Amino acid sequence: MIIAERKPMKELLEMVSDVKRLLIVGCRGCVAVCSAGGDKEVSILAAALRLGMKKAGKQIEIDEDTLVRQCDPEYIDPLNDRASDYDAVLSMACGVGVNFIADRCPDVNVMPALNTTFYGANLSSGEWKEMCAGCGACVLHLTGGLCPVARCAKSLSNGPCGGSQGGRCEINPDVDCIWQQIYDKLSSLNRKEELRQIMPIRDWTTAGHGGPRRRIREDLLP
Amino acid sequence: MMAGSNLENVLRSGTFAVTGELGPPKSGDMEVVRKKARILKGHVDAVNITDCQTAIVRMSSLTAGLIALSEGVEPVMQMTCRDRNRIGMQADILGASALGIKNLLCLTGDHQKFGNHPQSKGVFDMDSIQLLQMVKGMRDDKKFQCGEDIKKAEPRLFLGCAANPFADPFEFRPVRLAKKVEAGADFVQTQIIYNIEKFRKFMEIVRDLGLHERCFILAGVTPPKSLGMARYMKKFVPGLDVTDEVIQRLSDAKDQKEEGIDICVDIINQVREIPGVSGVHVMAIEWEEAVPEIVKRAGLSDRPEPTGIEPVLTSTGAIEEAVDKARQEAKIELEGQLKKAKAEAQATRDLLAKEKEKVASEISGLKKQIEEAKNMVSRKEAEIRKLTEELKKAKESMDESQAVKPTVQAKEAAVGVSPLLSAREQQVLNSLNKGLAALKEVLGLDDAQFEAMRRFLEAEFMLQLGTAVVQAGPLETAKAESEVSRPVVETPTVEPAMEVSEDKRTERPKEVVNLVAKGNVALHNKDYPKAVEAFKKALEIASDDEKAKEGLEQAREALAKEKEAADKAVKVKEVEGLPPCPEELDPEEWKQKWIVRFTARGNVALMKGDYEAAKREFQKALELDPDYEKAKDGLRRAENQEDIFVPDVELGQEAVAAPKAEKAPESQKPEPAAEVKPEEETPPEEEAVPAEEEKEEVAEKPAAPQPKPKVEISAPAGEGVKDLSVASLAKDEPPLEERAKGIPEDVYKEPCTGVIQSVSIGDGDKAITVGGETALPFHTFEGDIPNMPRTAYEVLDAPPEEWPECLVRYYSDVINDSAAWAKKCVSEFGAEAICLSLDSTDPNGPNVSSADAAQIAKKVIEAVDVPIILWGCGNAEKDTETLREITSLIENRNVCIGPLTDANYRTLGATAMAFQYPVVASTPIDVNLAKQLNILLENLGVHLDHILMDPSIGAVGYGLEYTYSVMERIRLAALTQQDEKLSPPIVCNLGREVWKAKETRLPTDAELGDQERRGVLMEAITASTLLLAGGELAIMRHPKAINLTKVLIDGML
Repeated sequence: MIIAERKPMKELLEMVSDVKRLLIVGCRGCVAVCSAGGDKEVSILAAALRLGMKKAGKQIEIDEDTLVRQCDPEYIDPLNDRASDYDAVLSMACGVGVNFIADRCPDVNVMPALNTTFYGANLSSGEWKEMCAGCGACVLHLTGGLCPVARCAKSLSNGPCGGSQGGRCEINPDVDCIWQQIYDKLSSLNRKEELRQIMPIRDWTTAGHGGPRRRIREDLLP
Repeated sequence: MMAGSNLENVLRSGTFAVTGELGPPKSGDMEVVRKKARILKGHVDAVNITDCQTAIVRMSSLTAGLIALSEGVEPVMQMTCRDRNRIGMQADILGASALGIKNLLCLTGDHQKFGNHPQSKGVFDMDSIQLLQMVKGMRDDKKFQCGEDIKKAEPRLFLGCAANPFADPFEFRPVRLAKKVEAGADFVQTQIIYNIEKFRKFMEIVRDLGLHERCFILAGVTPPKSLGMARYMKKFVPGLDVTDEVIQRLSDAKDQKEEGIDICVDIINQVREIPGVSGVHVMAIEWEEAVPEIVKRAGLSDRPEPTGIEPVLTSTGAIEEAVDKARQEAKIELEGQLKKAKAEAQATRDLLAKEKEKVASEISGLKKQIEEAKNMVSRKEAEIRKLTEELKKAKESMDESQAVKPTVQAKEAAVGVSPLLSAREQQVLNSLNKGLAALKEVLGLDDAQFEAMRRFLEAEFMLQLGTAVVQAGPLETAKAESEVSRPVVETPTVEPAMEVSEDKRTERPKEVVNLVAKGNVALHNKDYPKAVEAFKKALEIASDDEKAKEGLEQAREALAKEKEAADKAVKVKEVEGLPPCPEELDPEEWKQKWIVRFTARGNVALMKGDYEAAKREFQKALELDPDYEKAKDGLRRAENQEDIFVPDVELGQEAVAAPKAEKAPESQKPEPAAEVKPEEETPPEEEAVPAEEEKEEVAEKPAAPQPKPKVEISAPAGEGVKDLSVASLAKDEPPLEERAKGIPEDVYKEPCTGVIQSVSIGDGDKAITVGGETALPFHTFEGDIPNMPRTAYEVLDAPPEEWPECLVRYYSDVINDSAAWAKKCVSEFGAEAICLSLDSTDPNGPNVSSADAAQIAKKVIEAVDVPIILWGCGNAEKDTETLREITSLIENRNVCIGPLTDANYRTLGATAMAFQYPVVASTPIDVNLAKQLNILLENLGVHLDHILMDPSIGAVGYGLEYTYSVMERIRLAALTQQDEKLSPPIVCNLGREVWKAKETRLPTDAELGDQERRGVLMEAITASTLLLAGGELAIMRHPKAINLTKVLIDGML
């Protein structure tokens, strides 16, 4: 899922400093699961903003709402009708939600409450880790299902660099060397020999370096 | 031939190759590169030019490589994938090739995190293997990476790569090298080798893969410059295996640099023997000077004549032209210099001849002068002889006259010579003076010398007179004893016997004369004190002796002068025995310093128990200043052999020096607090039920560290309410002041400057007050803690649905009646306060109406007389309604209401103000939010001494750490930064947090142990932790947990 984290309060307070009527909109999708923008976080943020604004001697009215998703039109389009009630809408969804509201709700002044960080998994309560870079050209079948693009500090394609030591990456002892893991995984699957193949230089166009990406499925188009 | 570089030529010829390394500067200074290149030139076959190694910005490897090339040193340009994408890299490769660079080392590059721009975006468009592929394609297939043709002049480059035999996974390392060779590497340079065994194994696999026949392998070596560097590499450079042997060799070495070079040479000699190694790569970055020495000692200094090194920017023709030009210029200059030198030599010769002549004439002049001087000397000698003759004559005539003089006259003459002398004597004296004056002139004496001489003779003259008188007397005469020993005059000596037998009257003048003479001599010798003494004595005998008076005066004057002049010197003398006083210090200050220093040394010795040494030091100090109290004191202590107390000598405060006479009794028991005895005879007073000590051996008890206070927890036996007692903690440890004896107070005390508000809840003598302290929790030694932390029993307004049986059982008989429940808590369990939780009013739950809830609350309040906290359901609107309803029913009882949040603080705050109730201000767990709500309440008119803060808490295992740190920060802000807005006491509603944790609900099993004990401990630990963080009021559920907490509070205060 998409992992996100709330922006620092200071930044948010500056963002809404001139807002008199604010709607905080959460999302029950990924950001709710990673405890960044669900119902609970919306009410915490609302309370914090009320207090913060009071402390700064400013008036603000804050309403709270949490949508099922902010990445589908049917959930965000109703915001158009409420646009006139608020000076601004603070979205607690990932960057997709903020963009989508901006795209579809011309009168809504939308702002982000979160920093969208990566595609990751929940390792344990309170810990998430990046697993995928969304590069658009998956090589996981070659690497035992472990991604060197997202999980190697240098996105190497052909095995561990000279900084791999004891299974750790040289940039930080807390970071695993994914190439060591790939090697171990393929060894245990008796596929070690595959690593002798040189993985050719990558085509990064699918990773966004070819411009904004878009996907079309003819069969589903209306 | 791939590129025809020198390195390639050397390697292909089978010669053992040597490459070096050159780190470009962190500036645009070309000279740095030139200088390093010159050091390496002729000692290595090629030099690696690093590409911003360790991701630090430096002159680009291409540029520095070209500079090296212009110095006649072949570069191996390094290229990393970190900073450029395939477009930039191919562009640079074309440029490098165009300008004559023929070796390229392809690397992935160090991660930007290690460098000086860690925020930069790492490119890593490809990795090193793909880079090799790309360049090989450009060279061999004449194609760009995209597949497009390179129409003309493809880059001809000898391609290198790196290999690290010491990184993980080891087995994959040769495979990875194989991939690099496959991708296009012609040569490989390895990571620095210290662990030769591992490298040997690596090479075995490499040979098995046949790689040594497909590429040239150069072993990487580095001389460790110092032990520190070796240690650093071992510890911090990933993939660098520095062996313990190397560390040992360096630490044993006298000269580490020398040893470093030797280590490097040894490694070279060993790797040379390994089959498949074609050369060495000597990396001595920032120590390039070591390379020639290493190469020499390794027997590799005979490098083949370089080939293929052609700086492209200056073409060959241009070079020849330039060389010719330079040669001619040099020739012209040389010729010019020769001419000039010749002319100079001629001039010098001429000058010499002239000098000679001049000197010769000077010498003859000098000879003449000497002759003249000689003549003059002989003339003067004659004069002196003549004068001496005259003197003798004069003396003789004087002796004659004295022989016939009566004694009286002689006496008179001695007392006041000149006025009373006879005409003849006067004459003699006059001629004497004249003679002396002439003598002075001849001998060239100055006035002072002359005066001394004159006095001397005068004294002698008088002496002779006296002696003559004595000779005239009836007794045998002798010569007067005198210190005078001038060679000009014979020293007369006197037998001591003479003085005794002599008539006093006749003796006096002689003595006076003697003394005056002594004085004069002393005066001349500049021994002024002696002179003064002599003159004084003379005056004692003959008080109006003019000569003596005059002499005395002179001597005194001289003495005064000397004193004045030598004032400083005298002072230095005062501090004799000390090292010389530094110029910038006054000798007096210097002395003071030494007094302090000696005293300090004494104290140190005293501390160590070396009383003798201490005594010596104190005595030294007292020699310098006998009144120095501290030294006196120290000396006394040293003599009495007292110990410990260390006065702060440097500060020189008298107060510090005040002696602390008692010797600490050595037999004092160490920390009785360490042994905690369960004290059965003092059960906590709150205990309503007498204790039945059925101590069951708790499973974890033996594992618990012995010194910790152990608290016996008995499992509920039978029907359960009778065994809630908890053993007290031992309290008989000595006060801190006693335990910290000898340690300055400011070391362990850090008194706070703020004060916590004290808040009272309840009425009459059952009212409790919390807060009011001026110290951190339980820091009784740092300030006042007037009120101990309190506990409150939580009572629900409806039967709890989710409480585990082990908790409910204590209240099962009263569970349906909140008032009876509260009563039981007070009468049976000794509750200090009750917290009535109005959970059933929750609109999302049972949604009991405010009116009904108020009735229940009213009953509870009337049932007990202990303080009551009314805790709403957490719904701001509903709580406002319910609490208002209650307050309208209860009239004069002083209850505490809560929680007040940012949503309802106005309405509830107003209610509380009207009735003067204390309130609970509740905020999400955050210091600033808590402070903000306090400010808002205060603005509303609620005084801080009517607020209890609820910072939102978590149970152990459920965010307790976070809670702790937030509470601690609140408390520190209040106490150490006087943040008044954070000074209200903290209430911790923790029972509900603990008992909703799943660990309190899981049944008893082998792994998790007894359910009840588990829950009790979780609640007690949560409570005690929060009290330590600054909590003043803990709202709890389980009676046993409350008792445990109370015992802890009691034991610690």
